[in-house]
Amino acid sequence: METHPMGVFVRIHIDLDKCQDPQEVKAWTGVCPVGIFKLVNGQPVVVEENEDECTFCGLCLQACPGGAIRIEKLYE
Amino acid sequence: MRLLEFEAKSILKRYGIPIPEGVVVAGEETPVAPFSGPAVLKAQIPIGGRGKTGGIVIVDKDEDLKERAAALFATRIRGYRPKKLLIEEKLDLKREFFMAITYDTVAKEPIVIFSSEGGVDIEELAQGEPEKICKQHFTFRDGLPEHKAREIVAETGVTGKPLLGIGAVLAKLATVFIQTDATIAEINPLALTASGQLIALDCHLDIDDDALFRHPDIAAIAKDESRIEAAKAQTEFERQAALIDSVDHRGVAGRVIEFDGNLGLIIGGGGASLTAFDAVRAHGGKPANYCEIGGNPSVKKVQALTKHILSKPGVEKVAVIMNVVSNTRVDLVARGIVKGILEAGRDPAETVAVFRIPGAWEAEGFKILRKYGVRYCDRTVSIDEAARMAAQSAGRQSA
Repeated sequence: METHPMGVFVRIHIDLDKCQDPQEVKAWTGVCPVGIFKLVNGQPVVVEENEDECTFCGLCLQACPGGAIRIEKLYE
Repeated sequence: MRLLEFEAKSILKRYGIPIPEGVVVAGEETPVAPFSGPAVLKAQIPIGGRGKTGGIVIVDKDEDLKERAAALFATRIRGYRPKKLLIEEKLDLKREFFMAITYDTVAKEPIVIFSSEGGVDIEELAQGEPEKICKQHFTFRDGLPEHKAREIVAETGVTGKPLLGIGAVLAKLATVFIQTDATIAEINPLALTASGQLIALDCHLDIDDDALFRHPDIAAIAKDESRIEAAKAQTEFERQAALIDSVDHRGVAGRVIEFDGNLGLIIGGGGASLTAFDAVRAHGGKPANYCEIGGNPSVKKVQALTKHILSKPGVEKVAVIMNVVSNTRVDLVARGIVKGILEAGRDPAETVAVFRIPGAWEAEGFKILRKYGVRYCDRTVSIDEAARMAAQSAGRQSA
């Protein structure tokens, strides 16, 4: 199993095709307690430096019923 | 924060608890007693047991107060050199009592401890003559009314006029404890003088750091760094670690004390970190630092702390040891440790002497450690055993 040279453990993937509603996007970008998402010109982006703070709380998944977010564990 | 004796006594006075007549002098001032007769010179340093360590000096009427004060200012007492002395009148004592109020974390209520014998080591007295000590809880809501305080004092056999007076002082001390958000409020001894007065000869007041914002006057004292000449000045390494801890509000990862060994310690949990530190030393390990992590620190903080400890010259390995955790996540600590080591340009498998944090999310944490080849153990391995493994691992490295 390959290891990341700088130790990256979590990757967050966004598929905007699955979530077009701006209100919904605003909801799930704002719900993360460790600031993994931010809106840039209205578009959601992942804040890479915060990805490894992800606690798998699932709040973003709950706030995005369309399933635009996928959380990947890189150590499994 | 622990107040110095004169600071604590000024609070007692505010609440109507009698204190001896006295004056505080700084090193550059000429000591002049505001009373005639023998004096007691007391070094104002934040430790107990000053009488046994030369921090309290009796100066007779015909002795040179200035000379004795100068000698006390020049004395280092358990690492502290006094910046101020309290000069008090020496009283003619008939009897001494002990009273303290602290918070019982098991019962989750404040507790009064009263002894009919004061000026002594209360732990020793509790073992030898437990009948002289009475302990009783009270509530923050009701406080400690005088009649209840008297009941406590009476339990130890005190009667008559002293019982009334001591009960009143104890009730006032409980008010001090509650209203100043103290964690310890102790008068030892409370003296009964030959003239029948009750006077607080010494006072230990510890205020909850997290409540200082409610007491601007005490907070101002806490901010005055010049009041105590620290036993050991903060090193640049410790200062940098404190900065790491202040990066965000999440958990603790950066309370560090520097030592000159080769084994970096990332250890946590108050008593457990002390246990781990002592165990490493007992097994021949040479800690490069003491530290505390806990309260679920952010990955970033653990990462930065790990890198910082590894930046200390001579540190080749780190031991990561905590007790079984419930409010800190093992996987988040594991992420921070691995990231910090990699950022320092080291190999986690070679650098971690032992990782022993069992508890919340340990299965995820152990997956991370396995992936990077880090030696870890679960709760079946004691802190002592983990410390032994760490000491051995670091010893091999330096041999």
